[in-house]
Amino acid sequence: MSKKVKKEKSLGTAQKKRRYDLPLNESSGSGFLRLLIALMSILTILALTTGFVLSDMTGRWAAGVQNHMTVEIPAEDKNGNVLPGENVRALSQKAQEIAAAHEDIESAEILPEEKIKEMVAPWLGEDISTSGNAVPLPGLISIKLKAGAEINTEAFQKQLKTVSPMIRLDTHESWLSTVLRFTGALKFAAYFITLTILITTIVAVAGAIRSKMAIHKDELELLHLMGALDSYIARQFQRHSMILAFQGAAIGCFIGGIILLLSSSMAGHMEISIVPEFQMNPPQIGLLCLLPFFISLLAVGTARHTVLRVLREMP
Amino acid sequence: MIKFEHIGLRYGIGPEILSDVNFSLDPGSFHFLSGPSGAGKTSLMSLLYLGRRPTRGLITMFGQNTGGLTREQLAAQRQRIGVVFQDFRLLNHMSAFDNVALPLRIAGKNEKEIQGNVNELLDWVGLGEAKRSLPNTLSGGEQQRIAIARAVITRPRLLLADEPTGNLDDEIGMRLMNLFEQLNKMGTTIVIATHNQAMMDSFGHPRLVLDKGRLSVEEGSTELRKKLQGVF
Repeated sequence: MSKKVKKEKSLGTAQKKRRYDLPLNESSGSGFLRLLIALMSILTILALTTGFVLSDMTGRWAAGVQNHMTVEIPAEDKNGNVLPGENVRALSQKAQEIAAAHEDIESAEILPEEKIKEMVAPWLGEDISTSGNAVPLPGLISIKLKAGAEINTEAFQKQLKTVSPMIRLDTHESWLSTVLRFTGALKFAAYFITLTILITTIVAVAGAIRSKMAIHKDELELLHLMGALDSYIARQFQRHSMILAFQGAAIGCFIGGIILLLSSSMAGHMEISIVPEFQMNPPQIGLLCLLPFFISLLAVGTARHTVLRVLREMP
Repeated sequence: MIKFEHIGLRYGIGPEILSDVNFSLDPGSFHFLSGPSGAGKTSLMSLLYLGRRPTRGLITMFGQNTGGLTREQLAAQRQRIGVVFQDFRLLNHMSAFDNVALPLRIAGKNEKEIQGNVNELLDWVGLGEAKRSLPNTLSGGEQQRIAIARAVITRPRLLLADEPTGNLDDEIGMRLMNLFEQLNKMGTTIVIATHNQAMMDSFGHPRLVLDKGRLSVEEGSTELRKKLQGVF
């Protein structure tokens, strides 16, 4: 063989390592699928985390107000006249004594004026004056019930009204159920979005596989005619899809993680007191870390199903 | 061994390409398949390598009715058939070695056995030095030898070749025919589709002649066969 021919042949020398019987990694569309899976993974991780945050918030809110009640002593009498601060404090003291003496109550604590100011600050501002013609502040008593106690709220309210007919007992149930219903709906939406993204990923992978099968129709037919089992051909696509999906999902989850860290840091700077600080628990972190593997598995399953279905049309 | 009974084939709702085709091939036989263009040779070949199912009739292959076989059984049957396509149908992303090794890998042979057999066969067809080359960097004749090596690497019971000498000069064509004769002597049943009248006359094997979808069998020259038996 001449040197020239040898050189030409060496230019076309194949890779020593055999990779696929079908040139799947050479055909177009692989980059697109990887990008698509990366984007889907970002959306999945964000939607899933939103679901976790809402779950956590709901749990904390429910736990925070469970077994708790608040007694409010309005700073006005039944005729609508504003009561001086000393009177409110005296009424609060009497109500606190009644509450503390109740058998189902573990503790009853009068909230200090500073704390009450802090609570109304979002509506009335930081600098509230309580002297003279300034804004009258009510008295608030935070009550914690004994574990498992089922207090008769009606009877307890009657007892309190002996101190002042204006006293109100707030069990938090009304607003809590509304908030829980609302967050429950949001949580459902977040998980539904996650499911929709995963279904979209399945459809996209199936479409990409079908398109690759169409591109490599001749090679596929050749393998089929050589006696390759459907599962043999499917394995080629499974491996290809698994690699692409894992790469895409790993990139997507990494970017999603960065977005979460950024948004968590931004939320931290906002200091929104109504939203409890969120920290994912180990199972939730584990689930997010497993996402690339889960998406790869999903891609492998989809590829197998699609290939076997298409091959079944061959004789 | 291979039997076609009342075979008919049509594509979609079109006319019948093959009509009432009947023939049988004994084990170790050698046949030429001839006929004018459009007579249905390629269609008949596709039925022989189980690339298509007939629209009617019965095909018995290696003692089994192919109509009743499962997909796995059909795949196993196909592994017993070697095919040399007219356009070679080599996989251009794979080296010559991997192209030839492909049927063995599909059959699940171990890598050690594959290395030995493929290297030996590539040396035999004179492509030992080009085993790492990609097919599209090789000449037409070299590509054809790879296609033939791939078809015979599994020692098939039936070897089908569609115009195998079409792209070759007379000398290489004759060497190729000698190779087929040797394989036939080892017990492989061979069917070669060709237009080459001179080649058919030279070898004297029986002919399956297709014309307008109908098949007739012409006996070969026994005298010539006897003479050739002395040569091969």
